[in-house]
Amino acid sequence: MPLEDFRPMMERCSNCLNCKWIPFDKVRSQRFSENCPSICYNNFNTYSARGRFQLAQTLLDGKFDYTDTVVDVIHSCTACGSCDVTCKICRYNLEPLEHNLELKARAVQDGHALPQQKPIIDSLKKEKTMIAGRLKADRSGWAKGLDVKDLFKQKAEIAYFPGCKYSYEENLQKVSRDFVKLLSKAGVDVGLLGNADACCAGRANQMGFREEFEESAKANIKTFEAAGVKTIVTPCSDCYHTFKRLYAKLGMKIEVLHAVEYIDRLIKEDKIKFTKSVPLTVTYHDPCHLGRLGEPYIPWDGGEKKVLNQVHTWEPRRPRYNGAYGIYDAPRDILKSIPGIKLVEMERIREYTWCCGAGGGCSETYPDFSAWTAGERITEANSTGAEALVTACPWCESNFKNAVDENGKKIKVFDIIELVQQAM
Amino acid sequence: MALEREIYQAFEDVVGKRNISEDPGILESYRCIVAQSSAHYGPFNHVTPCPQAVILPGCTEEVQNIVRLCNKYKIEFKASTTFQAAMGYIGSDYAIQLDMRRMKGIEIDEKNMIAIIEPYAIGATVQAEAMKVGLNCNMAGVGCSSSTLAGTAGWVGFGPSSLFMGAASENMLSTEWVLPDGDVIRTGSAGAGLGWFCGEGPGPSIRAIFRGKQGATGAMGVCTKVAIRLHPWPGPTYVPSEGTVPAYKAVLPDNFKTYTLCFPSWEAWADAITLFHENDVLYLGHRQFNMFGRDIKAAMIKILVDPDKQLCDLTTLMADEVTKAQNEDMKLDIQVVIAGMTKRDMEFKEKAIDRILADTGGWKSELMLQPDIAAWTLLYLIRLGHKNLNYTKCGAYEGNFGMSANVFVTTPLMEEASALKRKWENEHTSVAAVGGDSEMGSICLIGGGGPMGWEFFDDFDAYDKDSIKGTFEMIEESQRWMTSKGLGADMGRWNADARRPDAYNYTQEEHDAMFVKAAQPHIYAYQWKVREAFNPNHLGGSYFRTLDPSKL
Amino acid sequence: MAMKNELVEIVGKENVSGDPEILESYAGDRNFASHLKPWFIVKPKNADQVQEIIEWAKETDTPLVPVSSGAPHLRGGSAPDVPQAVIVDLSGMKKILSINRQQRMAVVEPGVTYGELQTALANEGMTLSTPLAPRATKSVVASVLEIEPRLNSIHQWMYMDPLRCVEVVWGDGNRIYTGEAGGGVRDLQKQWSQEKWQVDPLGPMMLDFYRLLTAAQGSMGIVTWVSLKCEILPKIHKLYLVPAKESEDLNDFVYRVVKLRFSDELMIMNGAYLASLLGESASRVRELQGELPSWVALVGIAGRELLPEERVAAQEADIAEIAQQGGLKFLPAVPGARGEDVLKKIINPSDGKYWRETLKGAFKDIFFVTQLDKTPKFIQTVYQLAEEAGYPSTDVGVYIQPQHQGSSYHCEFSLPYDPENPKEVALIKELYLSASEKLSGLGAFYARPYGIWSKLQLNKDARSAVELKKLKGIFDPKGIMNPGKLSI
Repeated sequence: MPLEDFRPMMERCSNCLNCKWIPFDKVRSQRFSENCPSICYNNFNTYSARGRFQLAQTLLDGKFDYTDTVVDVIHSCTACGSCDVTCKICRYNLEPLEHNLELKARAVQDGHALPQQKPIIDSLKKEKTMIAGRLKADRSGWAKGLDVKDLFKQKAEIAYFPGCKYSYEENLQKVSRDFVKLLSKAGVDVGLLGNADACCAGRANQMGFREEFEESAKANIKTFEAAGVKTIVTPCSDCYHTFKRLYAKLGMKIEVLHAVEYIDRLIKEDKIKFTKSVPLTVTYHDPCHLGRLGEPYIPWDGGEKKVLNQVHTWEPRRPRYNGAYGIYDAPRDILKSIPGIKLVEMERIREYTWCCGAGGGCSETYPDFSAWTAGERITEANSTGAEALVTACPWCESNFKNAVDENGKKIKVFDIIELVQQAM
Repeated sequence: MALEREIYQAFEDVVGKRNISEDPGILESYRCIVAQSSAHYGPFNHVTPCPQAVILPGCTEEVQNIVRLCNKYKIEFKASTTFQAAMGYIGSDYAIQLDMRRMKGIEIDEKNMIAIIEPYAIGATVQAEAMKVGLNCNMAGVGCSSSTLAGTAGWVGFGPSSLFMGAASENMLSTEWVLPDGDVIRTGSAGAGLGWFCGEGPGPSIRAIFRGKQGATGAMGVCTKVAIRLHPWPGPTYVPSEGTVPAYKAVLPDNFKTYTLCFPSWEAWADAITLFHENDVLYLGHRQFNMFGRDIKAAMIKILVDPDKQLCDLTTLMADEVTKAQNEDMKLDIQVVIAGMTKRDMEFKEKAIDRILADTGGWKSELMLQPDIAAWTLLYLIRLGHKNLNYTKCGAYEGNFGMSANVFVTTPLMEEASALKRKWENEHTSVAAVGGDSEMGSICLIGGGGPMGWEFFDDFDAYDKDSIKGTFEMIEESQRWMTSKGLGADMGRWNADARRPDAYNYTQEEHDAMFVKAAQPHIYAYQWKVREAFNPNHLGGSYFRTLDPSKL
Repeated sequence: MAMKNELVEIVGKENVSGDPEILESYAGDRNFASHLKPWFIVKPKNADQVQEIIEWAKETDTPLVPVSSGAPHLRGGSAPDVPQAVIVDLSGMKKILSINRQQRMAVVEPGVTYGELQTALANEGMTLSTPLAPRATKSVVASVLEIEPRLNSIHQWMYMDPLRCVEVVWGDGNRIYTGEAGGGVRDLQKQWSQEKWQVDPLGPMMLDFYRLLTAAQGSMGIVTWVSLKCEILPKIHKLYLVPAKESEDLNDFVYRVVKLRFSDELMIMNGAYLASLLGESASRVRELQGELPSWVALVGIAGRELLPEERVAAQEADIAEIAQQGGLKFLPAVPGARGEDVLKKIINPSDGKYWRETLKGAFKDIFFVTQLDKTPKFIQTVYQLAEEAGYPSTDVGVYIQPQHQGSSYHCEFSLPYDPENPKEVALIKELYLSASEKLSGLGAFYARPYGIWSKLQLNKDARSAVELKKLKGIFDPKGIMNPGKLSI
């Protein structure tokens, strides 16, 4: 939707402050009460969802042109969706996340991308990955020696889609391999896309590169169709959201599951059995794109309708995408079923989780901000007394592994699949 | 008029490069587009001026140095924290905006039940920290998203908890202010470094010039710290909020109960409220959900407690016979919370409520006793995190029929006010048609009972210029009605004499013309003298209303 | 003579006095202040006359000292510090202007005493929260303006409760109503006809005018009526006693009771103080000093119109449990004192002679505001100083009163002495000075800064002194209102 079409939303935002905090009903301390890394790091109101609504109005009104700071405000959103969740506790007619993304897209369209974004997008175009410096030719290297179907040669029940991180990073490559072996051991019929495997490009969308995203997405959808894919399983939360929400919006009809959903299912069907104890106190980090952004796409082609003179409703009922039905319980059920694991929760969890800082391309475009955001999460994790932080997204894991808390302390970081593997 | 470079540099030297900006994009977001702001109290179809810079001080010393520079260069300044209301914004073209976000300390003295807080400690966080040690704080009616310091020192600050805990002024102990001329004062016992426990004295209280009825509204220097009284919280160390977003609820132990008490007439309602004022029964009291509107409140509640319902379900629910009956049942209602400090105390309070209902012919709403709804209501009233439901229906609201008088004055007028609003709803389309009576308010605005703190909620669409205009006209009409009933300035006009309709400060001449006609004009003349003594460069804007004594 | 005549013009001949004996009676007070005789005593009957007196004083540069209570004057606030001051004696303004049961409000003139007001309120089913056993001649207006601590802090949401609005003639001659009353026409009858009952003390507008008058010792203006928040008269009213060896033993108990918002009257006293309160004669006070516990908390519980028995029963049981949890006993009587007798004493004005003078004929007190957990060190210090000065610490009375729902505490030391014994007078004077200073050093907050306390307090709070001077300059530009007070 073009930025101009967001004008009603911009003007209907009432500066209620929800977008700067976790749901007020969930606040348990001052230290862990805020939700938006962008305004927390940068402090000026402009960096909040409300601030961006107001910024957009003044941009559209031509009150000023893009300045470096304005470009900074627009691009330093991790697209985590936290503002969206809390806004929607109050409002049924605003879409702050969509607006933030549209603002980014407009900036890019107007020639105000960040220089740091160029190599990433170039890499997407050329090497089909958004990890600059990596080569297409090396993408499938992680699967070398694995006894697993090639979907272009044999049909399989599920297509395993690792995503760029699990494909290229050494420590995550092992996790990917372990996951495929786990699936096979559980009797799951799994296949890979081989050389046709390419970046989901979700991060391109998060950075405002709509055209490049759609181009990659459409190409991938064609690839999936050609390979006869019916179900995708991915361990990457970014890819998960991209497929489930954005690709579905482009017409993809494939079932999308996250690794945690699938593992949870296998545990409950008794197809995975734990034989070892993993004595560890852990805390679980809900990845934004698995949790609050993990709801499926629901087609909607409706419009605004006012009732009672001025009450703004949608006709027909419009999907809310407020994080109510994201994937929160599956990973927790997994952790609870691993012998020896003790799960302690942080204060900001589920739909009001604190972002890891990697989203929106910020781990590449604003490394200090991204590291600070991750450090905040490490502080929160360490405050629980947990020995380790577990999550289900490779972008989160990378960011956390490199981060320290406010006292300079780190924490062990695990992918949930690693813990599952350790218990088997 | 932009700041000269050396002046900008001087400010930057105080706070550091990161904490100051004059970028137009940043500055524009520090203008209040009033129709889009949370709280108005005055005209709302304008945009406040653009500041020359936005500055984020991190401590009192930085604030002091900023204020000193402002005095040196005669730059107006205003500090705000949440920027919810137009009064937090500057009022002239040569002014700087202080954003107090970086100052958010909370320090709690559990034994003596005091919290010492800085500007950006909002109600939710102060309450959360207090609850850890079995305490709670007064939550201003505007909700837990607001700054507790700003509500305590700078605005009216009463809410559902004020019957039990007192309103803002009653909770204010010692304070720390950067005076408008750049000196720093600590009031009360903190002045001599003795602690923050007493806000008065020595001798006459200097806080007299900072607080008043409405608070300084940022026009008399910058409050950088305030000590507030805390109150007992006989509950868990945090509010156990559960459920699917947005329908959170809190299942609290048995010593917490919430009821919606309903009455057959306004007379009975007033009698019951008076009994509550006179007896130490309630923890909270607020006519809360009527803000949705008399015809729709039951339907709105059903939407809000169900994560799958939306506003498109409103008209269906309104037409449902069961919902209609439930709505009618709670037409003249009030929401209350009781908190038993002990088992016996709880039993007494339950009995007291039953007795008051028996004596006044009232009853408890069955709908609101349903466990999920009760748990939702309890969370709502205690945390007051959903006060933003003001905006749920239409996005914007203004308050009118702000009857802050005693309950025996206000209740007889309710139906007439309701009819006037209903007429507007029916004859115009500018505000939501919710059934006239959309009154919401505190059971009192003073601890231990006293005048009510009421307002009708008028919901309008800030995107629809006709809606804004029509609402404005309706507020004008309700003000005329208020005046005819001797009820003074309507809530929608509380700040109409503080800022011009074009969003700029009033001139001295304009204020003189207004206040020379006041019932007791010396009030404003003294405020002029206080301003001359404490803010000689007039850097606070026109929220500090003054009358030149020579005009008397 | 001319000056006197000008005053006679204003208030009438019978209301102006220059009689030396009468002047002497106003000059002496018990604060060891320098005794300066006033020039005249003038007794206005209404606010118009007060305003004229102030205009006259401005024109003639005559200091004014407002007084509302009858003798004895104890704090020094009503004795002139400068020569040729005129005492404005408001004790003849004795009207109770209104009592409104529905709003629980009363409006009274300065000359109304507690006894007079309580009788009138009782007829309407109400009572006023009082300070501890005020003297019979104490003006309610003076008492609330000087923020004398109330026995029931649980109902004290505002620090200054029960004081709400006032009518004041400032030192510059202007006259306003404060609080809610200041937002309407300056006519009480008109306000009442509009159902406005002077309930909210704040403002009006941006200044809390009434806060410029509290603890001001009449140095800003003259108050000609106040509105007061009243309580419902209890149907059942009991008092219990919780004895202890040391004051600290009672602190946790008091903290807990205050936190739970239980009790009505609540305070701590040592045996010496309670003995003074109860003893009808010096000898009986001495006997009681031997009989009574070292320390005792006094806990009043009231049942009013709504379920009185139930309220009292619940609170009795709960507070007894709290006491027991702290190893204390919650008793209707202790050796030397029965609860109902103590209750009668504390909530009623003294009959005849002021109870604090019973033991030796006079007393000197030192009081300040603090927090309960800090009181033990103050108590220890005063006992020690007393002994060092040769004053029996067993005679030192101690009274600790929660204020403002327990956010602060009035801590008071009472030193009885024989005013006819010059040695004792000298000893007490010296002890008063040295203790005041020592306590200040330990953190006592002289919120009501009488006499030397104002210097002790404001010397530590230079900024407040500066700003107070500015305020004084606004509201009393000619400095005619009780000059010399508050060191400003």
